[in-house]
Amino acid sequence: MRAGEIVAVVGPNGAGKSTLLALLAGTLPPTQGAILRGTPPPRAGWAPQQPAQYGHLSPRENLELFARLADLDEPRAAVERMLETMALPGGRGRAAHLSVGNQQRLNIALALLGEPRVLLLDEPTASLDPERRRALWTLLEELRDGGGAVLLSSHSPREVAHLADRVLVLLDGRVVFEGSPEELERAMPDLAGGV
Amino acid sequence: MSKLALLLGKDARRLGRSPLLLVALVVYPLLIALLLGLVVRYAGERPRVALVDEAGLPSTIVIGDERFDLRALFEGAAEVELVRMPADEAERQVATGQAVASLTIPQDFTVKLRRLNESPRIVLRTSQSALGTQVVEKMNALTYAINLQLQKAYVDANLGFVDLLKRGGTGKLGESEVTVMGLEQAREELERLATSPDESVAAAAEELAYFVGQVEGAVDQVGEYLQATANPIELVSEKETGRTWLLSAQVQAYALGLSLAFVAVLMGAALITGEREERTLGRLVQGLVGLGGVVTEKVVFVSLLGASIGLVLALVFGAVVEIGSVSGGQPWERLPLLTAGLVLVSAAFGAVGLLLGTLTRDTSGAMLLALLVGLPIVLLGVIPAGSFPLADTVSTVAPFGHAVDLASAVLYDADPWGTVLREAAWLLGLTLVLTGIARLTVRRLLL
Repeated sequence: MRAGEIVAVVGPNGAGKSTLLALLAGTLPPTQGAILRGTPPPRAGWAPQQPAQYGHLSPRENLELFARLADLDEPRAAVERMLETMALPGGRGRAAHLSVGNQQRLNIALALLGEPRVLLLDEPTASLDPERRRALWTLLEELRDGGGAVLLSSHSPREVAHLADRVLVLLDGRVVFEGSPEELERAMPDLAGGV
Repeated sequence: MSKLALLLGKDARRLGRSPLLLVALVVYPLLIALLLGLVVRYAGERPRVALVDEAGLPSTIVIGDERFDLRALFEGAAEVELVRMPADEAERQVATGQAVASLTIPQDFTVKLRRLNESPRIVLRTSQSALGTQVVEKMNALTYAINLQLQKAYVDANLGFVDLLKRGGTGKLGESEVTVMGLEQAREELERLATSPDESVAAAAEELAYFVGQVEGAVDQVGEYLQATANPIELVSEKETGRTWLLSAQVQAYALGLSLAFVAVLMGAALITGEREERTLGRLVQGLVGLGGVVTEKVVFVSLLGASIGLVLALVFGAVVEIGSVSGGQPWERLPLLTAGLVLVSAAFGAVGLLLGTLTRDTSGAMLLALLVGLPIVLLGVIPAGSFPLADTVSTVAPFGHAVDLASAVLYDADPWGTVLREAAWLLGLTLVLTGIARLTVRRLLL
């Protein structure tokens, strides 16, 4: 992954997209091979496909806990920023009681905490309404323009085509294509679905 | 604030937001303690014994000057539950295990008892069950209790014969009526003869009178000798305000061990699998805490939670002991030592639960496995040492026996340090080994 780039990983269900992202996030140990990271390794934010957060805690408490665990300089300010950016409720209501869309936004907010240089998003737009989806795209573009790197997965190339600089197609755990969205359309028009 | 403190606070907050679970965590150990006390108090208390009454025990029998209700003596026995039945039914019930033994009272029992010249016998037949030995002990206790009551009548009756010999008159010897002169009168007669003018008669009478006087003196001691022969050692039982079984040190130690075993094993398993089910384990190990940190935090949390619950239990016991003015009181000054012990006990059980949780991955499976593993560990720990070699081995490896010994020593040993240090070292070692293994197996939860 290069700085200032958004990479989309596409492929059908079971292709290995989530596993790849978890490996890159460092939450799954590789059974073989190695993952090379820069020195010092850049801060990476990770939002798995299903929300990873404490259901008994409120969104604010979740964000505050992970902000403090990440040793952020100003955890409270970071939490307030994320609540506002992701339009999350700041009350005492538990995360488990949030709507599916709000849970997904909290999931992404936890990944964005501390302004990571690398962002790994697994099917981030699932459960988001069109407005929130557009807001997320804007956020990711800002991160890229600021020199960050984003890797997001989707089973729909059409969805990420307008955003991604590079597309990887995974099939049964292997990269079967790598190129721009335009190149994908030319090489695999059926898969690209009219990108 | 350290990361460990942050995670502990998070788990405490999560627990606090499950009020039902929180109440259960406090009430459950108290309930377990109460049930355990009742089980210890009453389990095997009155085994069922078949009573075959071939003698047809009379409701009243006279021994000496005393009347006895033999039926009531046997059937009112607190040691066993005697159930009357014919011989063949008794044999069948012992064979099928409905009764753990049969007690036969032979036909000649009452006759021999009345004669006072031969000990009547009762025959106990026990089954091969584990309760057989216990029943023999209980029947020995019953026989002792009945003998104790009959002995006084026997001694009094025998003393009556002695008194008849001494003073003379008419009385009963066994079932026959006899009239005797008596030693006193015999001595008086001999003393009178000693004044006879016939010197040879006088000398012989004087010698005999001296001998009869000696016999009188010896007869005066017979009462004490009879008492001593009947009871070479007499047990005098004085009831004081000692602890009931329900409040005993043993029950308190077992209650603490049992409660913490279940609470800590289940909590350890639930906490780690909960992290997996909420998918937060991956987020935590993503450069924030690390697997070792997560595993350590869970053990620390369970140890603190278990110690808190154990302290509540000890405080409730102590309050009951104080309110009831039970002798011995509660050793309040050892509360800090008890707290440290409870932390170690809970940590060891928590590590067991944690390891089981990492092996099963999902919470429901972990709970089931925790119960399946925890229950035998506890039951094996309850088996008395030396009864069964395999149980001894498992108890040595598993934390339950060490937990009970530690709690018992802390609470009531006059000099607890040897036991406390030994058991604490065992528990700490177990915790470190189990936590180390859980640290390796917890990676499975990331997959």
